[in-house]
Amino acid sequence: MKRPPMWLVVVLAVLIVVIVGGAIVLGAPDRRRDGPFGLRADQVAELPQPAARARPARWYEAPEPDQWTTQLGDPSGSRYSPLAEITAGNVGSLEVAFTFDTNNARGHEAAPLVVGDTMYVTTPYPNDVYALDLTRPRPTVKWHYQPRPLQASQGVACCDVVNRGAAYDGGRLFLNTLDGQTIALDAESGRELWRTKLAEINKGETITMAPLVAEGRVLVGVSGGEFGVRGRLTALEEGSGAVAWRAYSTGPDAEVLIGPEFKPYYAQDQGPDLGVHTWNPDGWRIGGGNPWGWISYDPELSMIYYGTGNPGPWNPSMRPGDNKWTAGIFARDVRTGKARWFYQSSPHDLFDHDDVNESILLDIPFNGRLRKVIARPGRTGFFYVIDRETGQVLSADPYAHVNSALRIDLVTGRPVVNPEKMPKPGRVTRNICPAAPGGKDWNPSAFSPRTGLVYIPHLNLCMDEGEVDANYIAGTPFLGADARMYAGPGGHRGVMTAWDPVGRRPVWRIREDLPLWSGALATGGDLVFYGTLDGWFKAVDARSGKLLWRHKLSSGIIGMPMTYRGPDGRQYVAIFAGVGGWSGAIVAGALDPADPTSALGFVNALGDLIPRTEPGGRLYVFALPG
Amino acid sequence: MKRAFAISAVFALGGCGGIQSAAGRDGMEGSLIGGLFEVFLWTTAAVYLFVLAYLAIALVRGRRHRREAAGLQGQPPPDADRKWRTGLIVFTGATALILAGLTIATWLTDRALAKAEQDSPVEIEVIGHQWWWEVRYDDPIPSRMVRTANELHLPVGRNARITLKSNDVIHSLWVPNLAGKQDLIPGRIADLVLHPERTGVFRAQCAEFCGLQHAKMALDVTVESEADFGRWKAAQLRPPPVPTGGGALAGYSLFQSRQCSSCHAIAGTPASGMVAPDLSHVASRRTIAAGTLPTTHANLAAWIDDPQAVKPGNNMPEVPLTEAELGAVTAYLETLK
Amino acid sequence: MSSRCPVSLLFLLPLTLVACHRETRDYESDALLSNDRPVAFGANAYHLAQGQRLYAWMNCAGCHAHGGGGMGPPLRDDEWRYGGSMEQMVATILDGRPHGMPAFRDKITEDQAWQLATFVRAMSGRARQDMLAGRADEPANVEPLTLDSRKPVRRVTPKQDDATEE
Repeated sequence: MKRPPMWLVVVLAVLIVVIVGGAIVLGAPDRRRDGPFGLRADQVAELPQPAARARPARWYEAPEPDQWTTQLGDPSGSRYSPLAEITAGNVGSLEVAFTFDTNNARGHEAAPLVVGDTMYVTTPYPNDVYALDLTRPRPTVKWHYQPRPLQASQGVACCDVVNRGAAYDGGRLFLNTLDGQTIALDAESGRELWRTKLAEINKGETITMAPLVAEGRVLVGVSGGEFGVRGRLTALEEGSGAVAWRAYSTGPDAEVLIGPEFKPYYAQDQGPDLGVHTWNPDGWRIGGGNPWGWISYDPELSMIYYGTGNPGPWNPSMRPGDNKWTAGIFARDVRTGKARWFYQSSPHDLFDHDDVNESILLDIPFNGRLRKVIARPGRTGFFYVIDRETGQVLSADPYAHVNSALRIDLVTGRPVVNPEKMPKPGRVTRNICPAAPGGKDWNPSAFSPRTGLVYIPHLNLCMDEGEVDANYIAGTPFLGADARMYAGPGGHRGVMTAWDPVGRRPVWRIREDLPLWSGALATGGDLVFYGTLDGWFKAVDARSGKLLWRHKLSSGIIGMPMTYRGPDGRQYVAIFAGVGGWSGAIVAGALDPADPTSALGFVNALGDLIPRTEPGGRLYVFALPG
Repeated sequence: MKRAFAISAVFALGGCGGIQSAAGRDGMEGSLIGGLFEVFLWTTAAVYLFVLAYLAIALVRGRRHRREAAGLQGQPPPDADRKWRTGLIVFTGATALILAGLTIATWLTDRALAKAEQDSPVEIEVIGHQWWWEVRYDDPIPSRMVRTANELHLPVGRNARITLKSNDVIHSLWVPNLAGKQDLIPGRIADLVLHPERTGVFRAQCAEFCGLQHAKMALDVTVESEADFGRWKAAQLRPPPVPTGGGALAGYSLFQSRQCSSCHAIAGTPASGMVAPDLSHVASRRTIAAGTLPTTHANLAAWIDDPQAVKPGNNMPEVPLTEAELGAVTAYLETLK
Repeated sequence: MSSRCPVSLLFLLPLTLVACHRETRDYESDALLSNDRPVAFGANAYHLAQGQRLYAWMNCAGCHAHGGGGMGPPLRDDEWRYGGSMEQMVATILDGRPHGMPAFRDKITEDQAWQLATFVRAMSGRARQDMLAGRADEPANVEPLTLDSRKPVRRVTPKQDDATEE
């Protein structure tokens, strides 16, 4: 056979290289890192005009300048302070005013509270409380309270032994301990007034959330969605700690406090005892639905809004049905606890998409008139605007990369699940976005009435998930799934998005290398503060996202920034450094990155965090020089 | 002819094949396929006999020809060619006709099988474990789902669509009296449709080697009237009452506080273990340990006392219990009807 | 003819292997009666395989993942808060430990605890290579033990941040 000519051989070789190489390059998942991340904001859209802006609820009152009495700043959940001494112009010179070490090396998620000239600091397990006297330039400890929770409670906390802070009302400080007790302290002296036990650690129950005080009730949920704990929200009498009412998240209507005043907007939520009938027999008893996140309060309607956690186990084939009332939002009468409406953002949840994120109470112009809504970035990756009187979803748009649901059907209210991303027994489902911590986990966003934007510190993570059999043994995890997470498209793992709830789109975005696990703070100086997992505390311009100032702290930041006016009349910004939580567990728990399924899959995404930060809790308080 | 008689005699005896007989025709699938099998059998038997006869004739005539040819001078008979051709055409034509006939018979059977799947079946999920069967009866209302183990109850005359899954190794469900085998493969979901036509009690077993106790992985299949089936299902949905006193109450406490509840579940009690058979109604089953032992007091006690002696290598450990404790637990389990 | 005799003798060679000890499956957990339980359990592949199954069934994986840790500390490294010998691990499993390890005494049997300890030992790289199974009894989402290699303990050191000023 004659040899082919040389030019033909060369052409063929080049073609083969181009075709094969192109297939490899184009076919590879988009995981390259565009970096450097975190230094620039991408402008996406115009700022909304004042008439087309979301605005605070009619009854909203900004907190007093020398007060920050609840973790979200105020009952509407805005994390906004009108203090404007620190502005975009002068924040560049912000410096450390003082620090306070907690001698605690776990994840610090709480924000300190300030009332008058005292600052109250809470720590992760063992949940110590310090009162600091702010009248001194170097604040001193006025009193130190040690609740001494049970040591064994550390073994049933899913996501580091964190505590999301205290709440202050009427001279009393309220906090929850890891072993499930709610404690009231006299704010002046630190004397314990009462303590009520709400959880049983032998059943896997703990409490990590911050309480909310409203109309004489202290509202406390419970944690344990990974342990088959039956979720419930309890209201305690502020004065005595006695149980006023308790509303379960699963089970018969009488225990869920569903009665004739319950008027859910969507058909699938209407019917008797759905908390029993949408589960396999007895599944609701170990079904999860734990409210461990944020509660908002509308004093005009006397209603509270909070979300319930994931159903248990993670493995969905073991609990057929919609699994009510998990992974959804309840609106209840704060005095009686009776439910008014419910919206389930993840019926028959497949991906551990708890619905416990913050609900910011706003009034927004919708189709010509002002509607009272809750605006919330959900775990599912959608930003929901829901009418807070009826429970109707007005809009639901993805703020993060989502392929697990195609969209939210606004007629039925249900997500249209992508069948390719449904977990199957004996198989691994790949590239599910968002991953289990969702588009955003617990860390709360902030709303600025000056810009009408919600500032969302969130995630860009996807995961592979494989189902296995789950087994229920009380006090041990009830999961049935192995997951491993990794960066989503673009290679960055965190995003700070400024979202316009009326325009239903992002206005600007900052892509961050590491997942954002800290809360956000918006101030009257048109600044937004947030922190990164490797310890950079940043101030960006609220209008454009431009990075104006940053400072490296001694440990990664998973806490919530807050601001106050000190006794000397200056504005201070406070933030805890202390890496940990679910995302930072690899550092706080010294986990082994060789096992990608560690920390419920997070370790796979954060192997590079180990050399970038160290554990250790320290409160940083910043102010302008002078 | 003698041979055919012998074969049919075997099938006549097949009706007495017992509760686990592949010759049993108790289900629609079994009947249809059995019928097709008989069509094939008689047709191919006839062809076989014809070929034998032809061969015999050829041998006999060949001998005669050779004797004659010894006298003649060796030219074949003048019309031999034409006979050959005719014979070939006839044979080929007959074969083609027979094959076509068999194909049509198969197609008709398949169609009958497929058509039967369309009426509202009982939806059952069977999940194979080493070495027991997890059985779930699905229902549009999830709280009416029935979860049991090692037994199947089917209403006579109605389809049952069984979805087959496995979480560890490959098993195979085979109910000889009702239908053929279908594998349970990890990571895959398979279907098996049963249409029982006669009431009765049958025995199914695992038909794909799955480990140490593959031989002792059987399933009791009870086919009953629609009314009885409804009653059984309602009884399964009722959680067993918690005992009020005596040995059964002591047994209940032991069950909840000791190793039993780590793996087993009993409805209406805190025990919700999911890796071992659901015991909510264990006393109502004919056999225990996946068809290994009939359910009697002595067998229950023997099984709990030393499962490794009954079924060596199975996953139930030997829980250390005193005589009194063993008696109490057995007494409790016997109340779970 | 004479060349065939030595060849046929070669066929008798495999008979010499008959005397080799082959591990038997210890269903009745006779290893519990042994004087040297760590060896009776720890050198037995059947007990290792059972430990691997129980690790998932008893929800150990829920807190310790597949050795990397999570709610509980990692089990693949060589740091043992309460001791890493077989007896110490069995005590940890059965009695629990102060900072959150639950007590499994009435949840599993003693031989099951030894089987789990055997598996945990294998996760931290201390089992004989010939004991490790190439696959578990169930489909798994992680690599089999034969492909798992123990990593040395990582020291945490702070490093300059990657991001540079533009």
